[in-house]
Amino acid sequence: MMEMVNVSWIVTLLAIFALFFVPSNYKAYTAAFAVVINSLITSWLAFPALSGQIVELSIFAGTFMGDIAIRIDGLSAWFILVINFTSLTGVFYGIGYLKVYNNPAPKLTLHWSLYILFHLSMVWVCMLQNGFAFLLAWELMSLTSMMLVIFDHNNAQTLKAGINYLVQMHISVVFLTIGFIWVYSSTGSFSFEAIRSFFQSNNNTWLFLVFFVGFGLKAGFIPLHSWLPHAHPAAPSHISGVMSGVIVKLGIYGIFRIITFLNSDFILLGEIILSLSVLTGIYGILNASVHRDFKRMLAYCTIENIGIIGMGIGIGMIGIGNGSAIMYFLGFGGALLHVLNHSLFKSLLFYSAGSVFQQCHTRNMEHLGGLIKSMPKTAAIFLVGAVAIGGLPPFNGFVSEFIIYIGLIEGIHSNNLSQILLFVLSLAGLSVIGGLSVLTFTKTFGVLFLGQPRTKLEHKPHEVSKLMLVPQYIIIAIMLSVAFIPQFYLKIIGTALMQMNPLPADMTGIIEYANTIQGISMYSFLLIAVVTVVWLIRSLVMKQRIQRIDATWGCGYTAPTSRIQYTGKSFSKPLGKILNFLLIENKHFEELKPGEIFPEKRSYVSHYHDFIERNLIDPVLSRLNYSVNYFSFIQNGRIQSYVLYGIVFILAIFILTVFNFVS
Amino acid sequence: MLSVILIVLAAIFFTGIIIRTKSLASGRKGPGILQPIWDVIRLFRKGVVYSETTSFVFQIAPTIYFATVIMAMLVVPFGQSRGVLSFNGDFIFFAYVLALGKFFSIIAAMDTGSSFEGMGASREALYSMFAEPAFFILMGSLALLSGHTSFHEIFAALHIGSQISYALAALATFVLLMIAMIESSRMPIDDPKTHLELTMIHEVMILDNSGFDLGLIFTAGYLKFAIYGALIVNLFIGVIPFQYAIPSFFAIQFLMAVSIGLIESFMARFRMSHNPQFIVALTSVSLLIFFGVLLILQKFM
Repeated sequence: MMEMVNVSWIVTLLAIFALFFVPSNYKAYTAAFAVVINSLITSWLAFPALSGQIVELSIFAGTFMGDIAIRIDGLSAWFILVINFTSLTGVFYGIGYLKVYNNPAPKLTLHWSLYILFHLSMVWVCMLQNGFAFLLAWELMSLTSMMLVIFDHNNAQTLKAGINYLVQMHISVVFLTIGFIWVYSSTGSFSFEAIRSFFQSNNNTWLFLVFFVGFGLKAGFIPLHSWLPHAHPAAPSHISGVMSGVIVKLGIYGIFRIITFLNSDFILLGEIILSLSVLTGIYGILNASVHRDFKRMLAYCTIENIGIIGMGIGIGMIGIGNGSAIMYFLGFGGALLHVLNHSLFKSLLFYSAGSVFQQCHTRNMEHLGGLIKSMPKTAAIFLVGAVAIGGLPPFNGFVSEFIIYIGLIEGIHSNNLSQILLFVLSLAGLSVIGGLSVLTFTKTFGVLFLGQPRTKLEHKPHEVSKLMLVPQYIIIAIMLSVAFIPQFYLKIIGTALMQMNPLPADMTGIIEYANTIQGISMYSFLLIAVVTVVWLIRSLVMKQRIQRIDATWGCGYTAPTSRIQYTGKSFSKPLGKILNFLLIENKHFEELKPGEIFPEKRSYVSHYHDFIERNLIDPVLSRLNYSVNYFSFIQNGRIQSYVLYGIVFILAIFILTVFNFVS
Repeated sequence: MLSVILIVLAAIFFTGIIIRTKSLASGRKGPGILQPIWDVIRLFRKGVVYSETTSFVFQIAPTIYFATVIMAMLVVPFGQSRGVLSFNGDFIFFAYVLALGKFFSIIAAMDTGSSFEGMGASREALYSMFAEPAFFILMGSLALLSGHTSFHEIFAALHIGSQISYALAALATFVLLMIAMIESSRMPIDDPKTHLELTMIHEVMILDNSGFDLGLIFTAGYLKFAIYGALIVNLFIGVIPFQYAIPSFFAIQFLMAVSIGLIESFMARFRMSHNPQFIVALTSVSLLIFFGVLLILQKFM
């Protein structure tokens, strides 16, 4: 086993070394080769865990860190496989995506080396069982992904987004470090088992919340989400797909991992997570519905889906607290399945959105339209992703949302008034999320792909290359397999959940729900069958009918242009108007002056702002900036003073040690 | 199975009765009860005109819309007899499968590139989004009251005993009726008779549909009404034997159609900007039902 882990290291180093020498055209293939090898190895390591065998290894990492435990249980294995799959589709899509751009060789070398490291670090995050080593892998993951985000580093906006991401990820690291040091100071160990013993003898709530903030920053729970809408649009599309598909899921992994060590306070923490998640979901999708940058829209939609996953986690934790095995399995099971589902359809949507961006060179959907004519395959792929992410049958999103729904309804049957209230409101919240995502994705799909082109593009868009399409077809195939044989995936999740520590005793009623969920796939088949039958009848009838092509009904107006089509902005305007206290719109325009008979050409600009970023984060930061400014003399740009700081620091340590202030 | 037959039968007469009521109320004789069905049959025989802007989405959308309504119909039970599909959480499937139909009808409207149809699509998406929580809180409350999670079990276990549960049933009827009005785009949310495209919702979305597709959309609309009618009937007939239940099904459907006709005759459509408020108010009625259920179950302890 251990040899395999070493092989993956060696392959990674060799590939990075080789990347310096191979010609530009082959760099991407070299990287893909390394990612494939690493994925195969780590998947092979993870496979036994799927059937319930826990893989335990340890590596010796020098005298300072000692032996580091590596442990792959069902939970790790699930996330490792999700990471591997999305990273693989990402690298192959990326080959095609970057091919059309003329990038200098060093830039490509750096990009693909980082990609290999990025993939490996994510896998390591799921395997390491030592706080210190975990933080190293976590840090490597954050740094490599940040460098991947700023691929287009000549653009000031991109750099700004990258730095924003970097800073926020380090706030996350600070919280995680505090958490691990807290455990270390009370148990004297950095290993994950120490967290378990900490929870057994101490208050659970506060340490969990510290970890939750740390991991929640990665996952994007509100109000910790504000890096997502900046970083995702800035990154190249194959990176946004992988980031949104898996990197935010590692925040979820961390939360799950800490839950396995928890000992008490399940109900309180579960209620906190559930309510926060409902708000996260609604907030995310509300913002998604108004933005016209379609990649930013997808980023907000990621926040929504993190909310849905979080709802599952909340249900599961309340289930543990209530001793209800049904809620435990439905909540956590729904959350884990939604992790897979979201990684599938979100990467699919980012890839197809990337295809649009590659062909049209704009992320503003108001400039596009009618792309279904020039890019029919991409349009069909996006449509599949849009229906699936709305949680609509017959696709995979419905299966996991359905599980979370019945988890909520199961919660309604509990005996505690406050829980009943929370569950009913969450039920309403989830239904609002569903309705809003229909609005968001009908808008995006409709504006991007349907109707007529809204502006004349410099280059006529064409369908993208096979290299970009095939990974997307594979994702769709996996999505369909989740939709139609969910029992296969649920069995794996069930095994993983059995291994998780705090297992409620009562197991009755699970079988009935298992049958129900299996039934869902049958009904989805039935739906497709009904559609097919109606379609066949229609085709038969239509053969004998006269079909004519004519202009769209213009209400008597005979000279319509493509500019009078309904825009995405106007599509979501009624919603924005009703919720204008949350969806803050900034408009710049000049009113018509009283005496102006022949109006001149004028402009109208409108932007939506993130409510939390604007009202919670920015004011705090600007206050902070104000006071921190007084210390700017420290960072004066002179190397001499920086050397002096080092000497002062060393002296201080020396003196304090000599006089025994620190031991 | 019984429910499907009954719903189809009710759907045949439902819209005809509405139109007849409206005619009588305005002092006209009006068309026959079966006129909507003849209209649909005629549409099925007609040729079609497609807009040159449209793609395959526009052609497949009516089919999917119709199929989703059929699927929703299969879930609805009738008193003691199950729906064709009956499982835990089937009301979630009901709501989501209808949402799928809506998704496709919305993008079909966007496909024409017409500003009017985009406007209708936007309104349809917004209003149905606002109506969702009302339905889910209602079903969640009924699930809490009955202790079950499927349509059939919930309705079969609803016992109307105390006065407060009569009040709840009346409120639930109101919520379901209003959701039916929103879903089928009738008054007071939308006026199917209006001749101004700017004030339409559903009608304006299907401006470019013709022939067979339009027939499918109309049929789905008739069925949708009868489906919601059947849900309302189910609130009352829980344990009543079939010989009374079936006549009362038709009686309630008839009453519903007549009252819709009367509402449309004597009421004006709401202003567009007031619609969201009205629909959100529906959610608060649902919450009232929820608190009523908590009262009945004596959870306030």
